[in-house]
Amino acid sequence: MSERITQTRGAAAGAQAETSVADAELDCRGLLCPLPVYQASRAIDRLLPGQALRVVCTDPGSLADFPALARQRGLALLSAEERDGVQVFRLRKDGDG
Amino acid sequence: MYITNSAAGQPPVQTEPQQDRTAAERRARQERLRPDASRRRYGSVRDLIASPQNPTPLVRLSRVLPSGAEAHLKLEWFNPFGSIKDRTALYLLEGMRRRGELGGRELVEATSGNTGIALAALAALEGKKLTVTIPSGAPQEKLTLLRMLGAEVMATSDDLCPVDNPSDGAIALARAVAESPAHRGRYAMPNQYANPDNVRAHYETTGPEIWEQTEGRVRTFVAGFGTCGTITGVGRFLKERDPSIRVVAVEPQRGHHLPGLKNLQEAKAPAILDRSVLDDVVRVDDGPAYAMARRLFREEALIVGPSTGAIVEAIARLEPVEAGLVVGISPDGGHKYASFYAERLDAEEVAR
Repeated sequence: MSERITQTRGAAAGAQAETSVADAELDCRGLLCPLPVYQASRAIDRLLPGQALRVVCTDPGSLADFPALARQRGLALLSAEERDGVQVFRLRKDGDG
Repeated sequence: MYITNSAAGQPPVQTEPQQDRTAAERRARQERLRPDASRRRYGSVRDLIASPQNPTPLVRLSRVLPSGAEAHLKLEWFNPFGSIKDRTALYLLEGMRRRGELGGRELVEATSGNTGIALAALAALEGKKLTVTIPSGAPQEKLTLLRMLGAEVMATSDDLCPVDNPSDGAIALARAVAESPAHRGRYAMPNQYANPDNVRAHYETTGPEIWEQTEGRVRTFVAGFGTCGTITGVGRFLKERDPSIRVVAVEPQRGHHLPGLKNLQEAKAPAILDRSVLDDVVRVDDGPAYAMARRLFREEALIVGPSTGAIVEAIARLEPVEAGLVVGISPDGGHKYASFYAERLDAEEVAR
């Protein structure tokens, strides 16, 4: 299982995480649920508090899974959008995550 | 894979005439040890997996049951990779090979550990790669064994996918790995929960072994709800021999800590479960199961896993006269659960 994670910025300031930019990106296109939340959860482990993760998915099940993941792990779900069968989520690690 | 004394790979010291070399080779071949089950000499560790020709032992319980009860435990940890799942893994892979599902593909499977360990061992023999999705509560020892065998381990919480797959996160994740379009069919999933070869393993081996080993006198059979391969396969075999044989399933509590067992109210009933072979279901909670596991260690000198504790606790609750000769399954041994046991012993010492 190789994960497609891209570090988009180094040590970013948490204050900038509200923009569309993220500190890391995860491409989960073509992956069925719950693989996107599993991979996102692991990617979040590697983030520092205040950093954000952007995840791109194509399984509509992720629309329910990501809010649940945010609740379980105490993450801020900054945005959740769907357009043309592609879902994009931005999550911020606030505390220990 | 025979034991040989040949110095393979060494450069020849002197060139022998062709005829002598052939004779030497013939002699060397004759000196090789051939597999011989009667001497417990095998060509491969795979040949140690139990079968009616090489059954796992039945051992009588003498101290932990009420007087008058006659029960035997079938010690499945005498299988080479340590559990009853060695049989399952062998049948799953053979079935997939027969159907042409294996060629060039990696394997992925959801398992509480034992099927993963057996699959990883068999995959290692074939140079195949295995990914295992495992509930995050599984003991560290199992995760380490899987990694030692070269498996990739994906530990998941049961509530990973709370919407569609409550309490079966590992199964949902394995299916996602196998079926995700991005993986383009790279993975094959044995799927022990739905694969009839899991049942067949027990119908063709565990069941006949129990029948032979008890000389047809078994009256009650007890096993746990897990993938339900054992209870369905053995239950079906025994019912065909004698429909009056009682088949008893053991079910843990909700949110239990008994790896390998499943509470079928909180987890989906596996597709391979055939309830028509069941006569009774006995609920055993964690506390009594672990207490019985400790008694089995201390009074019977049986180093068993926690699920055996649950199964023997269920046997202890049967009415001895009605139950007749009882055979219970001991799915695995205790070594893999040392950390679980340590935690319980420490907690008891603190409480004392």
